[in-house]
Amino acid sequence: MDTNNQQPPPSAAGIPPPPPGTTISAAGGGASYHHLLQQQQQQLQLFWTYQRQEIEQVNDFKNHQLPLARIKKIMKADEDVRMISAEAPILFAKACELFILELTIRSWLHAEENKRRTLQKNDIAAAITRTDIFDFLVDIVPRDEIKDEAAVLGGGMVVAPTASGVPYYYPPMGQPAGPGGMMIGRPAMDPNGVYVQPPSQAWQSVWQTSTGTGDDVSYGSGGSSGQGNLDGQG
Amino acid sequence: MERGAPFSHYQLPKSISELNLDQHSNNPTPMTSSVVVAGAGDKNNGIVVQQQPPCVAREQDQYMPIANVIRIMRKTLPSHAKISDDAKETIQECVSEYISFVTGEANERCQREQRKTITAEDILWAMSKLGFDNYVDPLTVFINRYREIETDRGSALRGEPPSLRQTYGGNGIGFHGPSHGLPPPGPYGYGMLDQSMVMGGGRYYQNGSSGQDESSVGGGSSSSINGMPAFDHYGQYK
Repeated sequence: MDTNNQQPPPSAAGIPPPPPGTTISAAGGGASYHHLLQQQQQQLQLFWTYQRQEIEQVNDFKNHQLPLARIKKIMKADEDVRMISAEAPILFAKACELFILELTIRSWLHAEENKRRTLQKNDIAAAITRTDIFDFLVDIVPRDEIKDEAAVLGGGMVVAPTASGVPYYYPPMGQPAGPGGMMIGRPAMDPNGVYVQPPSQAWQSVWQTSTGTGDDVSYGSGGSSGQGNLDGQG
Repeated sequence: MERGAPFSHYQLPKSISELNLDQHSNNPTPMTSSVVVAGAGDKNNGIVVQQQPPCVAREQDQYMPIANVIRIMRKTLPSHAKISDDAKETIQECVSEYISFVTGEANERCQREQRKTITAEDILWAMSKLGFDNYVDPLTVFINRYREIETDRGSALRGEPPSLRQTYGGNGIGFHGPSHGLPPPGPYGYGMLDQSMVMGGGRYYQNGSSGQDESSVGGGSSSSINGMPAFDHYGQYK
C-alpha cells in the first residue's frame, strides 16, 4: 500500500485552466489561482489515498450505501442493455459512492472559494466545468448556472487574499486543536494559503476520525495546519 | 431532465440487502413492496417486477434515493456545511447520468464481443476508457475482496439473504440505525447530528466506534477522543 506514492491521475493533473469566460485580471490573480489549483489537487489526491485504504478494510458487502435494485433499474433504462451480472450493481454501488464524494468535494471547494457554507447548484456546475471527466454532465446544469459560476469565480479571486475570511470559518468548527492549527499556519503562509486552510483541516479531521490512522500525507503550505490537527489528536 | 429512452421496469425478484430510503417514505423492508406487472413497453417479457414504494412517482425511480445521496455527501463535507435543495437534486441527476454513461460504454463493448451479460470487468473497462482512472484501482480492490468473501461463503448470497444478514448482525444493526433515524437536514444542530450518523454509517467496524460517534456531536475534544478508538479498531483488524 503506497500511502505517499499515489500517482496523480492524468485527468486530475490535466485540470483545465478557468473557462474562457472567466477573467483573471491581474498577474497576482493568476498566481493565486494557480496556487489554489495546487491546493485543490492535493485535497483530491488525499481523498483518493484515503478511499483506497478504506476499501481495503471493507468486510460488509451487504450494507450498500445505495440500493442495488435502483441501480439495476437505471442500467436497464437503456433498452440495448440485456443481461447484467450480479456483481455489476454491487460494483456500481461503490463507484457511485466515489462519484458522489468526488463531485461533492470539488463542488465544496468552489463554495469555499466564495466563502459560503451552503453547497449550491452553481458550485456543482463549477465542478463539472472544471473537470474533464465530468463533461458528460454539462447538460444537467443549465448554462446560466455556468455563467453564474464564471462571474462568481471572478469575484472570488478578488476577495481571496482577504485574511479576514479565515475567522469566518473558525468558530463553527469548535475544535480546540482548530485554533492552534490555524494560528500556527497563518504566519508561515501567504494570504491565499490562509484562505484555503479551512477545507484542508476540516476534511482531514473527518477522515482521521473515521479511519483512526495517523497517516500524514504532507503537502506544501498545508503542512503546518495538518500538524496542528494531529497534535490535537495526540 | 428528459430521458429519450422509455424507462423499463424489468427487475429480478430477489432484492436482497437493499437500503431503500426514499424522500417520501421510509420503507425498511423492501420485500414487502407491492408487485406490479411490467408495462407493455418492456421488451423482455412479462416477468413480475417489484415496484419500489408505491406512493413514489415513477420519476423518482430514475434517481438514487435522496437520503442515501445526502448521507454520502456529508461524509466528505465539514460538519458546518449545508446543502441546498437544488444541489441535492442536481447530484441525484448526476449519479443517474453517471450510471447510464458508464453502462452505455460497457454495453457497447459487450455487443462488439457478442456477449449478452454486462460484467464487472466491462464496467471497470468502461470507466477506464471514459477517463475515470482514479476509480478503477479502488474498485478493483473492492470487487476482488467481494469475490473472496463470496467464495468463502460458497455463494450462499443468492439463496439465503436473511441468514447472511444475521451473520453480520452486529454491523447490520449498527448500520441500519443511523440510516433509518436520519432526520431531515436543515438546522445547524441537525447538520451536526447528520454528520455524526454519517460518520457511523460510513464505517465498516461499527460496534465499538458507533457509540463514540454519538458523543462526537459535542465538539472538537470529542472528535479527538473519537479518533483514538477508531485507530485502535484499525490496529485490531490489521
